[in-house]
Amino acid sequence: MLFRSMNARAALAALAMTLGLGLAAPAHAQHGQDPKPAVQTTNPSARNPTADSVTEDALLRQLQGGSHIGGRISIPDYKASILEQPQGRDYRQFREGYLPWIGGIAVLGMILALAAFFFTKGRIRLEHSEESGRKILRFNAFERFTHWLTAMCFIVLAISGLNYIFGKRLLLPLIGADAFSAWAQYAKFAHNYLSWPFMIGLVVMILVWIRDNIPDRTDINWIKQGGGLVGKGGHPPARRFNAGQKMVYWSVALGGLALAASGLVMLFPFSAADINGMQLAQYVHATVGVLLIAVMIAHIYIGSLGMEGAYDAMGSGEVDLAWAKTHHSLWVEEQQAKTASGPQIGRGGKSPAPAE
Amino acid sequence: MLTKRRSGDASRSKLSVVAAGLASAAIDRRTFLRRSGLAVGGLAAVGSISLGSVRKAQAAGEGLTPSMGKEVRRNICTHCSVGCTVTAEVVNGVWVGQEPSWESPINRGTHCAKGAAIRELVHGDRRLKYPLKMVGGQWQRISWEQAYDEITKKLLEIREKNGADSVYWLGSAKFTNEAAYLFRKLGAFWGTNSVDHQARICHSTTVAGVANTWGYGAQTNSYNDIRNAKTMVIIGGNPAEAHPVSMQHVLSGKEINRAKVFVVDPRFTRTAAHATEYVRLRPGTDIPLIWGMLYHIFQNGWEDKDFIAKRVHGMDQIRKEVEKWDPKTVEDVTGVPGDQVRRMAEAFAKEKPATLIWCMGSTQHTVGTANVRANCVLLLATGNVGAPGTGANIFRGHTNVQGATDLGLDISTLPLYYGLVEAAWKHWARVWEVEYDWLVSRFDDIPAKGGRPARPAKTNMETPGITSTRWFDATLLPDEQIDQRSPIKAMMVFGHGGNTVTRIPDAKKGMELLDLLVVADPHPTTFAALPERKENTYLLPIATSLEMDGSRTASNRSIQWGEKIVEPIFEAKDDYEVMYNFAQKLGFADRMFKNIKIEKGIPLAEDILREINRGGWSTGYCGQSPERLKAHMKNQRKFDLVTLRAPKDDPEVGGDHYGLPWPCWGKPEIRHPGTPILYNTNLHVKDGGGTFRARFGVERNGETLLAEDSFSLGSELTDGYPEFTLGVLKKLGWDKDLTPDELAVITRVGGNAPDAVSWTTDLSGGIQRVCLDHGVAPYGNAKARAVAWNLPDPVPVHREPIYTARQDLVAKYPTRPDERQFRMPNIGFSVQKAAVDKNMAKDFPIILTSGRLVEYEGGGEETRSNRWLAELQQDMFVEVNTRDAAARGIKDGQFVWVLGPESSSKARMKALVTDRVAPGVAFMPFHFSGWFEGVDLRKRYPSGTDPIVLGESANSVTTYGFDPVTGMQETKCTLCQIRAA
Amino acid sequence: MARMKFLCDADRCIECNACVTACKNEHDVPWGINRRRVVTLNDGKPGERSVSMACMHCTDAPCAAVCPTSCFYNTADGVVLHSKDLCIGCGYCFYACPFGAPQYPRVGNFGTRGKMDKCTYCSGGPEADLTTAEYVKYGSNRLAEGKLPLCAELCSTKALLAGDGEIIARIYKERVLTRGYGSGAWGWKTAYRETVAL
Repeated sequence: MLFRSMNARAALAALAMTLGLGLAAPAHAQHGQDPKPAVQTTNPSARNPTADSVTEDALLRQLQGGSHIGGRISIPDYKASILEQPQGRDYRQFREGYLPWIGGIAVLGMILALAAFFFTKGRIRLEHSEESGRKILRFNAFERFTHWLTAMCFIVLAISGLNYIFGKRLLLPLIGADAFSAWAQYAKFAHNYLSWPFMIGLVVMILVWIRDNIPDRTDINWIKQGGGLVGKGGHPPARRFNAGQKMVYWSVALGGLALAASGLVMLFPFSAADINGMQLAQYVHATVGVLLIAVMIAHIYIGSLGMEGAYDAMGSGEVDLAWAKTHHSLWVEEQQAKTASGPQIGRGGKSPAPAE
Repeated sequence: MLTKRRSGDASRSKLSVVAAGLASAAIDRRTFLRRSGLAVGGLAAVGSISLGSVRKAQAAGEGLTPSMGKEVRRNICTHCSVGCTVTAEVVNGVWVGQEPSWESPINRGTHCAKGAAIRELVHGDRRLKYPLKMVGGQWQRISWEQAYDEITKKLLEIREKNGADSVYWLGSAKFTNEAAYLFRKLGAFWGTNSVDHQARICHSTTVAGVANTWGYGAQTNSYNDIRNAKTMVIIGGNPAEAHPVSMQHVLSGKEINRAKVFVVDPRFTRTAAHATEYVRLRPGTDIPLIWGMLYHIFQNGWEDKDFIAKRVHGMDQIRKEVEKWDPKTVEDVTGVPGDQVRRMAEAFAKEKPATLIWCMGSTQHTVGTANVRANCVLLLATGNVGAPGTGANIFRGHTNVQGATDLGLDISTLPLYYGLVEAAWKHWARVWEVEYDWLVSRFDDIPAKGGRPARPAKTNMETPGITSTRWFDATLLPDEQIDQRSPIKAMMVFGHGGNTVTRIPDAKKGMELLDLLVVADPHPTTFAALPERKENTYLLPIATSLEMDGSRTASNRSIQWGEKIVEPIFEAKDDYEVMYNFAQKLGFADRMFKNIKIEKGIPLAEDILREINRGGWSTGYCGQSPERLKAHMKNQRKFDLVTLRAPKDDPEVGGDHYGLPWPCWGKPEIRHPGTPILYNTNLHVKDGGGTFRARFGVERNGETLLAEDSFSLGSELTDGYPEFTLGVLKKLGWDKDLTPDELAVITRVGGNAPDAVSWTTDLSGGIQRVCLDHGVAPYGNAKARAVAWNLPDPVPVHREPIYTARQDLVAKYPTRPDERQFRMPNIGFSVQKAAVDKNMAKDFPIILTSGRLVEYEGGGEETRSNRWLAELQQDMFVEVNTRDAAARGIKDGQFVWVLGPESSSKARMKALVTDRVAPGVAFMPFHFSGWFEGVDLRKRYPSGTDPIVLGESANSVTTYGFDPVTGMQETKCTLCQIRAA
Repeated sequence: MARMKFLCDADRCIECNACVTACKNEHDVPWGINRRRVVTLNDGKPGERSVSMACMHCTDAPCAAVCPTSCFYNTADGVVLHSKDLCIGCGYCFYACPFGAPQYPRVGNFGTRGKMDKCTYCSGGPEADLTTAEYVKYGSNRLAEGKLPLCAELCSTKALLAGDGEIIARIYKERVLTRGYGSGAWGWKTAYRETVAL
């Protein structure tokens, strides 16, 4: 169980963050508050302060996993007022105990699954028909730019992110401490600074494509038929995005938002969260990160090696009408109905050269 | 602004600079000073190198270790009176590090935040770097020579026009003994008694109260001796913050003896947190509480009857007053429950030895002297004086506030408590080798005014000056109310912050009225920043006392020799040199430094101490020669932790008590070991034993004032005896023991009445030597006085504070009637009456008290300029009780206005909401300055010398009220209102 | 070899902050970096206790485990040190440290904190002992000179103990037996997975 080491409150908050709600409010509310005092009465007169002394044992017992022992300090730095947060050990257990496994299984598992699929079923071929050779515009330049901006950033973020987990295990022994540190330093900068274009691209993508990604009835049918990949029912009808693509969309949207929210918390350390909030941000960021990487590996596979003709959608933006009709029959109908002799449908072989 | 981190590039690191310098090339002092402002280095720089390896950036620095070529020098920490030894490591004239002073029996290696950061005090880049003068409201750099010339010219003009008394000489508790003595001498030679220092505002009432009880105004035992106590009552003191190193001894005693520790304070202090019982009282009700304890003690017969019979005078009169303070009345007035008072009384009387520790919570009141006297009476009644583990352990405030007090930096006495009488002046004239008549001629003749008769110079010379708590009243009040030739026109302020006196709005007006203001200090103080002055204002950069040779007297009367750690940095000069130059320009340097060697323009500290030794008989400052003191510093490790005594067989310091705590009788050659515990009859006087001092005559109203059947160990006189004169020696036939040389000196001193020459005026030390040989104390053997008939309230009585929250009690316990004190009227009674009539307690319902923070000291300029300390306390605050805060909608950390009942005073600061203070009580630390009525005055400091942390002064809102005996101000108990800002 | 530890006797600690400024003084630590600090629990309430805290030099230190560049190492004395050359300022050690020990020259600025700085137990860093390079990066190396950390040496009430774990535990135990009370060896359970049995 992923969140075994965390208590229920932390897990709930993690969920909240995954949903893009952020943790700022509850974490911030803890600022300036002492933990519950061992002695409730506040008038110290006529008491024996030596006998009343707080003990570490009592305070540790009062802690309920997610909190910390804090007090007052004259330095104007809230962090400094936290004396002890034993759950730092839990954070370590997550980062060094669970995370490499989660990440390893997710990423390697996905690669293995795809390899298995590739070697058993092979590449999904373009089915020829009379429409072959005619092109239809699937993604305009702005959409493609946004996609590639986000995608490029994601790849760098993914590699530099994985480096935080696996770098010292895989790369450091190969290249030595100094070189690895220099690399890791650059990777960190890349990770911190490319997060901004990534977040911009992410938000734009979400806005641009959300209309076409709202689940509807056709998706149920599509799923029932396994997207046409399994069984022999032919390709089920789909609108602009089929259910599989919608799943990718929503993975990116929700996962990306969770990464962005938790990442922002980490980019501005302690401005929105206290130490426990920062740890939570780490849990969310790392877990969602490796899972999304796995999803994206699948996405890359299907958009390139896995399916003939799919790459064109994001390459030139125009896809073969035959491919479109096979995979997105309803969308093609919509487009053709909208503009029967519209400019989207060009003549065969006259596709505009892709940017690259 | 301050919560931000320093950017790496702006930071600097001295030791690393030195280290780098050592590695590349030899670095000298000048190079260090030059580089210290510019160089980038240290951890901060490392932090700023973000990419790649730090190693490259530092490759050039590879080389020698900074530990090479170190010299070790020792001085004394300046931040409180505990007397911690500071061990400094110096490389090429630069102070590069501090090490624990393991060998010191006082601090045993330890320090508090201030002591551990004291290196920065010397190196601080916010110190005054060169003399400055204000021209048209702007600070302008000038040379020392110009400063001396202009200041002395102006002084002489003012003297001519307004008289000598119109110049106020405000000295410092951070002076060495030698500088304090020299400053008092400077005042005397200038011709005024208005020479004062910080003791006025911290323990002047202690000195007066304690000295009037049993002879000497000082801590009777020592910090170390507290380890012997089985019961400790700390009243009005917070040593955990004010004297942290003393807590080592307090807590060790508590642990080893399983001692009971009662902490009596309106605030649940850091000290109270380590008590075995915390007693919260209403501010200003110390006497009712002490009388309440004595009530139980007398009721139950717990008093030490034997001790009282043999060694105490007047306890019956105390009983009569105490009878009024039954538990119910005590609880009503003080707020302390009866059973708690009883518990404390029983422990104090029965679980002996018991000691009473007090500090400014007792002393800084309109009834300060009476408070202290009540404390003494409690000790006397329970027989807790004059033995290990007992006594009045009075914790003083600065390094050398005890020494500066002893050496007469005081408006009412010449050095070493000789007073101002003719005999005193003549004694010092003999020591100084100047003509008495010349001294008289230096003083003003006071004309008749305000219905008072004229006063010739001789009488004026014997009249106490104006207290430092009220110097500004002497500029603001109408001329005829001020009992001297003219109001005060000039302030010569040496090492003294201006924010430590009450009524700052009035003080500010006073500062603005002065014709001349000279501030000689390592830092620009409140005096420099607060007043809106345009001209005639000078800032002189003075060395810290760590850059000076000289001795310092800790609270326990131990005298320690500190050696100059480094030369004064920048253009700073030490006190000796500056005073010498002033004396020269004022035309009396030859007289003043007649017996003091001047080396390279600087008077020699050792010679000054020798002069003190030659005149300091009355307080036993005669045996502590510079050679002996230096031997003590060298042999610190040999002194016992608890008894402070070195083994008898040691060749250099054999049998001595550490620091030769005064009185250290006779000439240095007779090697008196010093007196670690005053009035201790269990020891021979030659071993530091003693009796109560016979200071107040031998008989009163038919009752003897001398001790009965009590004497110190080995005394040849087995009953009380008066103080010794040649006449008394003759009666006993002991005069034969005097050597011819001694007798010759006595005859020369006595002139035609040699029999009157006493142990205090005998410059040969013969009388003291003979006394010791016969096992008697030179000052006599008397009873301590429970009743001090010469004081305004011979038996201490409760008097409500001037501004009290309990207006209903004022009719029964009014403050003393208005009267003239120290050349001015004290109208406390009228102020109290007006406050009650106007029902001030309604508009100002919160009792305001003040105190110390561990990171800062005094006015705080030095410590607020120390980056290591300033980081720890970045904001002025007021502690407000949770309930009061809730009622006013005040949240922890937000800004509030604190409003005072006088001068429409107001101060803006942060609120610290806490139950540390009781509902209806607020607390402020008193170290802040640099804001006034909510306005930041940072721009008024000369550029680059503004302390890192500025804040509103607590005394911006404190009010009128002065002790009748010493002019002590009331800082611990006034009223205020607090509202969200 | 000794196993160096810290022990703060909270029944002695009076929050005088000597340890804090001693550390600043010894290593010339800049404003904003607090290698050591004193926290007061139950401030102003009965039972108030102050505890001086810095890097506890944990057994199996969490900071070392989570470091993505493995820049931490242990000395023979059990002191946990790190290399500022290898540190990339990611901040993970702060999240893992139960005691808030790691410090960074800057906060914010998109997490570019600069090289981590923390208590070295006055024993420098990976550079050769007592060199200028070592001093400039990590502060002085008292251990190499045969001295203990200055914070503990200067502690006003001798509340903060430094030295071999067994020896300081014995001192603490004796104190507690003498005086009859003790609020615990603060942080020991978390740092060393042990406590001083009383």
